[in-house]
Amino acid sequence: MNPIVVITLAVLATTVRVFGLIGLSILTGWLLGYLAVKDRVFENTYVSVIEVLESVPVISFFPVVLIFFIEKIGGPVGVELAADFLVFTAVVWNIWMGIYQAFKTLPNEILEVSQNYKLGFLERMRNIYIPFSLPRISANLFPSAADGFFYITVSEVISVGTTSYSTFGIGSVLQSFTASNQLNYVFYAMLIMGVVIVGVTLGLREFANYTVSKYALDTDTPITRRGRPRLRYTVRFSALLSRSAIQRLSSYTRRQILGSIRLRRGQAEEARHVVGGRRWSLVTKLVGIVILGLLVWGITVTLISVPTKTWMHDFANTPNIVVNMAYDYLRVGIITLVSLAITVTLGYLLAVNHKAERVGVPLIQVLFAYPAPLYFPLLFAYTLPGARSVFGPLTSEFYVILLGFISTFYYVFFSFWMGVKSIPHEYWEVMRNMGMGFIQKMRYIILPGTFPYIIAGISSTINSAWGGLMLAEYWPGIYDSHTLTVRHGLMKLLDVSTAGGDLALAAWASLIFGVVVAAYSILFTRRMLDLSRKRYVVEEGIYAA
Amino acid sequence: MSSNQKILEAVDISYTFQNGFTVFDGVSLDVYESELVAIVGPSGVGKSTLLRILGGFIQPHRGEVRLLGRRITSPTPEIALIHQSIVTFPWMTALENVMLSLKPKKVPRDEAKKVARKMLEIVGLTEFEDLYPKEMSGGMRQRVAIARALAADPVVLLMDEPFSHLDELTAEGLRQEIYQILFSVNYLKAVVLVSHNLNEVIELADKIFVLNGSPARVVKLIHVDLERPRNPKDERFAEYLDMLYNFLTPVQKHVAQR
Repeated sequence: MNPIVVITLAVLATTVRVFGLIGLSILTGWLLGYLAVKDRVFENTYVSVIEVLESVPVISFFPVVLIFFIEKIGGPVGVELAADFLVFTAVVWNIWMGIYQAFKTLPNEILEVSQNYKLGFLERMRNIYIPFSLPRISANLFPSAADGFFYITVSEVISVGTTSYSTFGIGSVLQSFTASNQLNYVFYAMLIMGVVIVGVTLGLREFANYTVSKYALDTDTPITRRGRPRLRYTVRFSALLSRSAIQRLSSYTRRQILGSIRLRRGQAEEARHVVGGRRWSLVTKLVGIVILGLLVWGITVTLISVPTKTWMHDFANTPNIVVNMAYDYLRVGIITLVSLAITVTLGYLLAVNHKAERVGVPLIQVLFAYPAPLYFPLLFAYTLPGARSVFGPLTSEFYVILLGFISTFYYVFFSFWMGVKSIPHEYWEVMRNMGMGFIQKMRYIILPGTFPYIIAGISSTINSAWGGLMLAEYWPGIYDSHTLTVRHGLMKLLDVSTAGGDLALAAWASLIFGVVVAAYSILFTRRMLDLSRKRYVVEEGIYAA
Repeated sequence: MSSNQKILEAVDISYTFQNGFTVFDGVSLDVYESELVAIVGPSGVGKSTLLRILGGFIQPHRGEVRLLGRRITSPTPEIALIHQSIVTFPWMTALENVMLSLKPKKVPRDEAKKVARKMLEIVGLTEFEDLYPKEMSGGMRQRVAIARALAADPVVLLMDEPFSHLDELTAEGLRQEIYQILFSVNYLKAVVLVSHNLNEVIELADKIFVLNGSPARVVKLIHVDLERPRNPKDERFAEYLDMLYNFLTPVQKHVAQR
């Protein structure tokens, strides 16, 4: 077949895969979100599971994928399902959380109307819950799609030992062109992908603007909300979205809501009693029990099937895993600092300069959505001599950190940008009135005022940096006969042990990593968010009765 | 109470929104030393926009604003704005909020504290300097905002419906004190107040510019010649109130006829 046709079909296949899985995330999100607002036990399980799984990088699912889909199911179906599962884990969490937030914050008044008219489940979903969730879904579509595209090369070509499994898509097609050194087709593939990415970005922006203008509540009338203390946030959220809709909101808003849910438990409970029936309680409990049962069964089967010798081998490697993890956290720290430094300057300039913002924001969105694994080998090939002369023995480190940065910069940048845009106009007038300079504005107003957004952005940045590191720390044949690799790094250890067929070690390292990531999330991120909620909520500085 | 020195003047001001709607045209007003001047008008007539033009926050499409004869083209601490939505910074205590306006002047920290404490004393918050805004009532927060504005050494204070977000009792209490508070700092020369509360305007203002029409113009300048403190039950107070209603209602009738 004509290579151009193959490339076009491959781009379409990948795009359909990413958006098909986003669609699946939305459908399941509606169902699970509804169950969550109907039953507290299910809600607690659901939200906790999402919180943990969202903070665990996609790479942690690799051994599960390989063991289950490729070894147990096998064949083209197994490989396709493996790819789908990996992309699904990249796109699903913020969509599920966004839908849950929307359902949870549905105004009581609207719910009362639905009760008044005795609307059934389907009518409620169609007329109330689904429309109300659309603005939040659209806000989360962009980062989900970008994440999904980023993982195409990882998900479409999987190597275990000497065996390579691949499924049709631009990731696998591109790898075959790169391997056979057909660079002209690599360029075509990048071009066609670029056209699709621009189309997707513009399409998602339009969709988001449409959903916000049609479905978002935007009123100054004080209304009672379940699990949400401030109307102002919604108003700002809507106003912001209507200006530029595609932003990642999930982390910050989710935690806000979780906090407020605790505060307003009584009120939420009351609403739940009014809305929910006992039949729902039974259904949701059954679903919860089935999910928990499956989890317990899976864990037990896995643990029993591992021989003692393998456990000993894994335990012996634990110190090595910890050291490699420390190297990666250092890299993630550098990536975060660099991202923050650029964010604070560029994000501020774009937020206050409307002309630059109109061009800059969509441009950064397109660049972010364009999957780095497609162009990074070329970037590597063209810049390697120059980078070697500058960085010497640290050249590989430079590329690893660069890819980590590219894969993750967006989150903190847009989070901060959104924070700056959320600063009330009265604050800007006070700053102008006092004649404050850039440093004073930053120090006294903007950084404190955007603190919750910065923390949420850093959290997302750290979580996403692992994807870039996973690719860059061990990339055999990145270009010609070159292999990009580093001496130490947990992601390299996972890559190498997976490629070498030592799935037990990869699974053990993933487990340790998952525990550390979850502990970090609970001990650091949540505390910082609690602090920011306590004092740094900029909306609370405006008193309007 | 006014003297002959012209502090602030707006000459032939015109402003058109981005959608092409000219909100007011040919508006001129002047404010003399020790005057509290009010701007009133129906909703949507551009009162807050005009106030921001007076402060240099917005540039008029025609005309100019002068402070002590100097043209104003950008915001300056000499003209301080008090917002309708009460603005404080939640991560700063009352004292730190007030000290903020001294930062751009690079006032030494100890001196800044002294000035801020003095301002908090003027607005009646001596005991509350360590409280965060969240721990204060709306009235206390507005006092903090006023103290912050006063600490910047303004020549003119612009107040955009400063009591509209307070409950009536708190608003009345603050209204009764505000005149005394504002003119107790000797560097403050004049105050411009925007309000839709006609009782408030008559209670506080020396001079009232009534805006009306579309595009709006100054349809009447009223000098309020009443002794302070003013009593709303006073017969002459009611006469001024009637006069204001007369100048504000015709446009509504005009709109209704359309």
